[in-house]
Amino acid sequence: MEKVIVSDSPHIRGKRTTRGIMLDVVIALLPAAVMGCVYFGVKAFLTILISVVASVATEFVYSLCLKKKPLEIVKSFDFTSVVTGLLLAMCLPSHVAWYVPLISAVFAIAVVKMLFGGTGKNIVNPAITGRIFAFIAFQSAMVSGWVAPTISALDGSVTSGATQLTSMLGGNGYSVSLADMFLGTGMAGCIGETCKLALLIGGIYLVVRKVIKWQYPVIYIVLTGFVAVCLEKFDFSYFMPSILSGGLFLGAIFMATDYVTSPNSTAGNYVYFVALGVLTAVLRKATGIEVVSFVILLMNLIVPLINAYVRPRPFGAPGFVERIRTKMAEKKAKAANKEEGGKQ
Amino acid sequence: MKARNGKFFSRGVHFRDMKFISKDCPISRLEAPGIVSIALQQHIGKPASPVVAVGDTVKCGQLIAKADGFVSANIYSSVAGSVIAIEKRANPRGGLDTHVVIKRDETASDDFVPLEPLKEKTKETVIARIAEAGIVGMGGAGFPTSVKLSPKTPVDTLIINAAECEPYLTCDYRLMIEKTDELVQGFRLLATALGVTHIIVGVEKNKPDAVALFEKYDDLDVVLLRKRYPMGSEKHLIYCCTGRRVPPGKLPADAGCVVQNVATSYAVYEAVELNKPLFERVVTVSGQCVENPANIIVRFGTSFDYILDHCGGIKGDIGMIIDGGPMMGATMLSTNYYTRKTDSGLLLLPKTEVSLKNPTPCISCGSCARACPMHLMPMDIDFYTQAGDYVMAKERGGVLNCIECGSCAYVCPANRALVQSVQLCKQKLREMK
Repeated sequence: MEKVIVSDSPHIRGKRTTRGIMLDVVIALLPAAVMGCVYFGVKAFLTILISVVASVATEFVYSLCLKKKPLEIVKSFDFTSVVTGLLLAMCLPSHVAWYVPLISAVFAIAVVKMLFGGTGKNIVNPAITGRIFAFIAFQSAMVSGWVAPTISALDGSVTSGATQLTSMLGGNGYSVSLADMFLGTGMAGCIGETCKLALLIGGIYLVVRKVIKWQYPVIYIVLTGFVAVCLEKFDFSYFMPSILSGGLFLGAIFMATDYVTSPNSTAGNYVYFVALGVLTAVLRKATGIEVVSFVILLMNLIVPLINAYVRPRPFGAPGFVERIRTKMAEKKAKAANKEEGGKQ
Repeated sequence: MKARNGKFFSRGVHFRDMKFISKDCPISRLEAPGIVSIALQQHIGKPASPVVAVGDTVKCGQLIAKADGFVSANIYSSVAGSVIAIEKRANPRGGLDTHVVIKRDETASDDFVPLEPLKEKTKETVIARIAEAGIVGMGGAGFPTSVKLSPKTPVDTLIINAAECEPYLTCDYRLMIEKTDELVQGFRLLATALGVTHIIVGVEKNKPDAVALFEKYDDLDVVLLRKRYPMGSEKHLIYCCTGRRVPPGKLPADAGCVVQNVATSYAVYEAVELNKPLFERVVTVSGQCVENPANIIVRFGTSFDYILDHCGGIKGDIGMIIDGGPMMGATMLSTNYYTRKTDSGLLLLPKTEVSLKNPTPCISCGSCARACPMHLMPMDIDFYTQAGDYVMAKERGGVLNCIECGSCAYVCPANRALVQSVQLCKQKLREMK
């Protein structure tokens, strides 16, 4: 008789794998990465390349240090480090020196991901933390000296200097049209965050492939815009600029939806994304800088708390209303008993 | 009665049912093999205690092992011949059971010795007959039916589980379309045993011809169920058929329902009307690696080797041999095992159909929580069980509510052994008590 497989039930499994999901995320990120290269030139491409290669190499070297066999590492390669490297490069400005993506990527993979146990064990998003590391370590390079894209705005004007969000939060208003903001034309910013159209295409791809639920990024983006409007005394002209500026799209579609660092249950995810939306708008107003990455980092740390308290009710268990009803009925019965006892 | 649409539960998984392979194979009878090896543990509870000794001559349908205690079941010989051994042999689940090995006497008649006919069919006599005939839940669990028919709380509804939600299996479907009349009599007998009049038959929508046949009977309340795994789980079937919810930790009887399987109902019909003890059942032989797929009546104790020979043997690149359905059945090392009361299928799947991947780290994607029909958190159960914290697995993950349907493991992209974590955790919690 031929050799057969003996395994645990269930014996048939779905086709989806971790590697497949991560590959989907890489594919979804490609339009935005390509647009970044188109807008910011070879420098942007080099930044992305350095970041991705550094991420993959760091993971490989770290695994070698753990005495894993090279063949084994290659076999179990799951594209998570590619996603991290790509995301990290997309939220760096194109004008930074070559060592910024390199050091940030090494930090993101070695410290944030591998030290905590590798894929699935990190408590915060490596790419976000890598960006914040770069923001703090290379502050001057990260907050000033923005370069304008090589493609000018639709009306031909070229803006440089501060990004639109800094300008808006500083009370200077907008100098570019909404269409420019959506397409990223003529707008300074990080490599991957300026072209909202490309990010949106990536997001739709992820939704179609059922990697993420469409509700999550939509809640985040819409709520940020709405709370911003509330904070500006219900001036609805702030809605579109708020959601189209800064790294909100990139953060909402690709960073906040990261499986590892978002809550496990559906209800937990709603809590998480609502909190993200409110916090982003409030802190943007309070600090005057782009806070999407900080807010996501902050909420990542709160996720274990959400996981502990927001969990589904087992099938058949009484619901909230039902439980209150039974409690009320019990109380009534008790009171009735007491009365009867008193009468006797 | 005209079929009505049932409710639907959220979550669960959906896959191709693969029933087309053996769907159109009529039920045929498998000739008795030369040797049968009948396990004494074919049900949940205590193993039956043998009442025959090596060297005894037995007839077909003769009692060879008596139920030991309340939760146990009688076992009857499936052939006429002589007992040549009573010994421990491996069962498909990987353990050792005592088997009574009987060599068939070619000259003796294969007709069974009938049980004493029932004088009247009342609640008590029917239940007593079901216990006497050794009938257990034949959907896979193997819980003695007589115990299930004596619930502690009053019930008002009998639900017949005709969902057959496991892929590949068609034995219940064939019974439904070939033996409709007998089955309905079985349903009525079960209702008599329970003292209820409301009989609901829950059928998945992929069996329209069975629905059409059941609709002809006026006392049956036929419910159309949407195709979704695990529709055949008691709690979900009750919810979809009646809208009642069984609270966690409670039995279906607490919601006023008792659920019985199609194959069990047929066995009840045979035991009461034909006075036939339970010694054979319909088994589906299916999968892409079987030469001739079939639905055949097999005597208990027949080896799977013999069944496979009858079905033309293996074709193609065999990957896995499964006893039961692919979601909750057990894989076998070879076909050198013996059929029991709970075996509904023998599946031979090619390597392309079965899971060959190794588990990778959990990425907390939440797919398992979205697929769990019991609304649990399988990833938490897995995490805490692997860490050895079984109490937390109970509190956080709700492991005791798990029905082990395998939906979570089916969708898991990291291919984690979630069902095994659950089983391990439940075992450890039992040991802690």
